[in-house]
Amino acid sequence: MLGRIKNILSNIDGIDAWKIVEKTIESKELFFIKKELDMNRGKDVTNITLTIYKDFEEEGKKFRGSSTINIHPTMSDEEIANEIKDALYAAGFVKNEYYPLANPVNEIPQKLESRFNKDSMSNWITKLTQDIFIRDKYDNGWINSAELFLDKIKVRIVNSEGIDVSYDTYRGQLEFITNWKEGESEEVELYQDILFSDYDANLIPNAVDEMLKISKDKAVAKPTPKLNNIPVILSGEPVNTIFKYYYNKACGRLIYEHISTAKVGESIQGDDVKGDKINMILDPYLENSTFSAPYDEDGFLLKKVTVYEDGILKRYWSDLRHAYYLNIEPTGVIRNIVINGGKKTLEDLKKGAYLELKSFSDFQIDTITGDFAGEIRLGWYNNGNEIVPVTGGSISGNINEVHKEMYLSKELQKRNNFLGPVSIKMFNVNIAGVE
Amino acid sequence: MQVPMSKYLTNQKGTLKKLIGILSRDFKYASVLGTDVKGKEYEVRKTGTSITDSLWNERGFVVRVFNGYNYSEYSFNELSEDTLDLLVDKIKEKAEDDIKNLKSAGINISNYPVIEEEKLTMSHYKEVEILPEEKTAEYRIKKMTEIMNEALSYSDLLVDFNVRYEECHISKIFISQNKDLEQSYIWSQGNILALVRRDNNTKYYYDGVAGLKGVELLDELRAKAKVVVENAEKLLDAKRITPGEYDVICSPEIAGLIAHEAFGHGVEMDMFVKNRAKAVEYIGKYVASELVNMHDGAAAVESVSSYLFDDEGTIGTDTLIIENGILKTGISDLLSALRLGTKPTGNGKRESFERKAYARMTNTFFEAGNDKLGDMIASIKEGYLLDGTMSGMEDPKNWGIQCMILVAKEIKDGKLTGNIMSPVIMTGYVPDLLKSISMVSDKVEISALGACGKGYKEWVKVSDGGPYIKARARLG
Repeated sequence: MLGRIKNILSNIDGIDAWKIVEKTIESKELFFIKKELDMNRGKDVTNITLTIYKDFEEEGKKFRGSSTINIHPTMSDEEIANEIKDALYAAGFVKNEYYPLANPVNEIPQKLESRFNKDSMSNWITKLTQDIFIRDKYDNGWINSAELFLDKIKVRIVNSEGIDVSYDTYRGQLEFITNWKEGESEEVELYQDILFSDYDANLIPNAVDEMLKISKDKAVAKPTPKLNNIPVILSGEPVNTIFKYYYNKACGRLIYEHISTAKVGESIQGDDVKGDKINMILDPYLENSTFSAPYDEDGFLLKKVTVYEDGILKRYWSDLRHAYYLNIEPTGVIRNIVINGGKKTLEDLKKGAYLELKSFSDFQIDTITGDFAGEIRLGWYNNGNEIVPVTGGSISGNINEVHKEMYLSKELQKRNNFLGPVSIKMFNVNIAGVE
Repeated sequence: MQVPMSKYLTNQKGTLKKLIGILSRDFKYASVLGTDVKGKEYEVRKTGTSITDSLWNERGFVVRVFNGYNYSEYSFNELSEDTLDLLVDKIKEKAEDDIKNLKSAGINISNYPVIEEEKLTMSHYKEVEILPEEKTAEYRIKKMTEIMNEALSYSDLLVDFNVRYEECHISKIFISQNKDLEQSYIWSQGNILALVRRDNNTKYYYDGVAGLKGVELLDELRAKAKVVVENAEKLLDAKRITPGEYDVICSPEIAGLIAHEAFGHGVEMDMFVKNRAKAVEYIGKYVASELVNMHDGAAAVESVSSYLFDDEGTIGTDTLIIENGILKTGISDLLSALRLGTKPTGNGKRESFERKAYARMTNTFFEAGNDKLGDMIASIKEGYLLDGTMSGMEDPKNWGIQCMILVAKEIKDGKLTGNIMSPVIMTGYVPDLLKSISMVSDKVEISALGACGKGYKEWVKVSDGGPYIKARARLG
């Protein structure tokens, strides 16, 4: 297919550069209700995007217009040629500052390792299924339903400057719902979604077991009380969400677009930081991450970079285009985030009264304004005397008002593309309790 | 202008019928959905312009067969009459070999009846004022740049003003032993976003328009630019709300968000099959104030999710979910209806041909009442008018609701004070919220911006809306 496209491109005048990203995906998908298979699916697809670049000058200034199109394998040569001609015409009205494309480099990247390439997809999907239900053995709690996906993905990136790179990866996903019914209390459910690119015998059983156990807590949870001036501890997935704010603040594109005002050499947490300072590394080869890749979609070779050190922004991370605009070294787009743990242990963080929150309906942070909020599905209120599971109500706050005194646990958690603290302790967070 | 059918799909019909013929020798049920979605997304901002194919673009097929127990599916995007045998082998691999392997590994397989269909041949092509191919990329970019430049002149506090426009031309065919359906329609949407900054305080406000329209929608977008800039400026002075319960008036957009999150997701009947929907216990019972009537359906209103048939070949309908406060029924895909022994409602939707079909919302909205907005505001001593959807999340099992809202406009002694709070999170127990509805305005507005996920995936285009509603809600 790429040969066909390149041949058509060579016969159309006026194209200054081009880039093709081809992804071939083979998948197996199983859908369960309780332990029964409700449907099985599979797919074999090839998805291709082609970007056409057109250079032009106005008043002595160079511009590079572009237009990105999908090329479907079922398109005829005539259809592809027409799509390319339309894209070329459109690119002439895209007046972006000039930027170069990626050039080939003489460096062999590290290979992405995955045990999934050691056996057939059929055997792995069966093994993963057994992992889902191995801990589903409680009398009052069970897996309500589960959806399991395993994709084998071949990526190839080719451009007009001579880039021709490829790699293979896997994307596994398990979405599951757990139920618990405790005595006369209402039956409850919790949701979990995990992603993986390698086989880890403990990953799924441990995730299922943890969700079943905390579902039990939700079944007996009391309404979240109305609380003032009590520290909030975020644990699990919401911790990952918080750090997306710092990741986006250091994004070259957002700097160029003036959406982020973060400056290299300055503290992202402001002056006089009392709590832990943020240390962030972007690692393209983080183990068992579906975002690990040797190249980004420009075909740019990726390497580990330090973005924040002791709260100081050391460098922006950026794709080639925006790095060129900002006159900085490109890092490429790396989506794996590694955050150092803090000085205090979980035990230290949980001294005194606190509200610990682990499961929300949808915990979100606005990476432009720093506002964060979420409805509480499960947490634990320690009033100084006892720890009570709670549910309902919400929290809200702004990261800029809390990160001067924010404590990160020494213990770390790994969640797909995030390796960082298990918990964060914050102050000055609004709690909208129920009772 | 009538929206034309994809020539590609029309040309493949013969091959697909042949495929169904071959599959029917081995499988009691076989169907194929073919999709060809062609769209573009244009974006103009101060620092650059982009033109890309829409993320909704797709061209491919999904085959569904009855495997003797339940249903197996295979998605693919290469098709040739010469290689039909290979394709049939692949489908058999999923429906026979994979099922056999899973059974031998001790995995139980559920049992479904065979889908029974009546003979049906139908086609439907909607109309738009201006077809996408009638206007050039230059025309769109020029119009969008004019909107941006005009907006940038409204305020010195603007960091950027972003204009986005997207159009999608959707063509689908559905072929089974008894059905031969085809449809084609276009939806488009435009969004504008004003980003303002004063000192280190950055805020943004956005709005947009969407519908079963073509390029003509760009003219509607221009009219909203000034208000969007003014609202963004006001957000710079917004305060944080004191958490608590308040009398609120929800704008049609927020009423739509409530309808969607509260009783849209809550009555998706695949949730009934999984015992994930509390709604099952409440069919025939009061779940809302008597003022509440709520619909969903591809045929309920003309908007972005109005189609002739869904992604399982079921004709779209208009479902009355809540009638005078009483929960009547849910919305269903075909397989859930088979399991439940109910009638499918034409709500089986896929993110694309590559994904499974689920029971999904189409156009979901509350009916109008008799009240006037002015009277509703005047009736509140201390409360807020809520407007601007940020996001929402469902909880069908335990009936929690989370609505992230951009703006709460303060009401005191029956008047808007001009003070605003932002952002605001509205939470609560769904029946408490819906039963507290005490006034409903007399005009419905439908919003069709954005998309809906099931959990955190399976994105589909939907619309929702309603009139202004007065309720009591917990804000934080």
